[in-house]
Amino acid sequence: MQPSDPSELGRLIEAVGQRRDREAFARLFDHFAPRLKTYLMRAGANPGAAEDFAQEAMLTVWRKAALFDPARAGASTWIFTIARNLRIDAARREKLGQREPDLTDQPDDPEQPDTILAGADDAARVNSALSALTAEQVRIVKLSYFHEKAHAEIARELGIPLGTVKSRLRLAIIRLRGLLSETQ
Amino acid sequence: MSTITHKPSEETLLAYAAGTLRSPEAAVVAAHIALCPESGALVETLQRVGGQLIERLPPTRLGENAFRNLMARIDADGGESVAEPARNDMIELPEPLRQFSLGPWRWLGPGTRVRSVGVPKDGDCRVLLFKIDPGRRMPQHSHEGVELTCVLSGSYRDEAGRFGPGDFEEADEATDHRPMVDSDVPCICVVALDGQIRLSGLIGKLIQPFARL
Repeated sequence: MQPSDPSELGRLIEAVGQRRDREAFARLFDHFAPRLKTYLMRAGANPGAAEDFAQEAMLTVWRKAALFDPARAGASTWIFTIARNLRIDAARREKLGQREPDLTDQPDDPEQPDTILAGADDAARVNSALSALTAEQVRIVKLSYFHEKAHAEIARELGIPLGTVKSRLRLAIIRLRGLLSETQ
Repeated sequence: MSTITHKPSEETLLAYAAGTLRSPEAAVVAAHIALCPESGALVETLQRVGGQLIERLPPTRLGENAFRNLMARIDADGGESVAEPARNDMIELPEPLRQFSLGPWRWLGPGTRVRSVGVPKDGDCRVLLFKIDPGRRMPQHSHEGVELTCVLSGSYRDEAGRFGPGDFEEADEATDHRPMVDSDVPCICVVALDGQIRLSGLIGKLIQPFARL
């Protein structure tokens, strides 16, 4: 399996939902849990708390797998919303052992060749939409996803007024909406 | 349903999609999204972007027995899907608000009632449901921080325009408004509020210490 093949990941979630398939779940865990740990560490959680969070998110994946509908959302989107919802839970947030978020611009993994090739699939569409943004827009978008109180911190970090951060972010979102809307 | 003309800003919808809004704010945005397909579509798009950003993150190694520990936990508690959350008794509320417990309706003044919504508080910020009769104004309150409002039924008018079902209004310290209900039915709206509500009039002042809003 290509670990980041989106339709394969979706089939694994369905296997967990329909058959409680532990082998499929192990593969999902190997793919997503280390990324969910990174996600929370970028939000300012210490490694131990980020690992607990990744476990919690994967437990939710196991429990809710039967609700996954590949027609409504891709695997990564579905996992993201699960992680996002856990993060919204204020009670849990207090347990994350927050330290100051690291705002240095950490590089992502290099593009996976299979997601670049699969022109029709959604992952490739989102990736190509992101690559249509300016480097600074991508940076502001990424910081907005990964950090609490992002706007004020980004403004300090980039040395630009808060209003400028908001207007650049707004332009980036409008661009993404234009590139990704279903009516295209 | 009337057309929704007042929507959250793009940044607010991104903060919602990204999970960086405080819980009370997220609950009010969720109520709006349930009533506004256009905002819902943008949030869906932004969730796809979020999924892809997670996909592109470099993995961080987990502890040696992370997977085994998780499976042990699943085996211990059955790991089965959690029961559907209980629903509150206001069937007219949009789906995202049905999961929260509701406090008793409290009298705030003539034609003005409020009940608390059991969204976890974040600092001073909490969620309230207001029910205000035609021709009445929202109770006076201070703005310390942000106030998000989503109209659920009826409508009100203030200097920013007319707000009907699904409409969303974002006010901050700079806003000083006391919207007036202009529909011929009571206006029900859900509000995430940082500041304190000041009850007006002698009776208001007398009950203020007990109102705990």
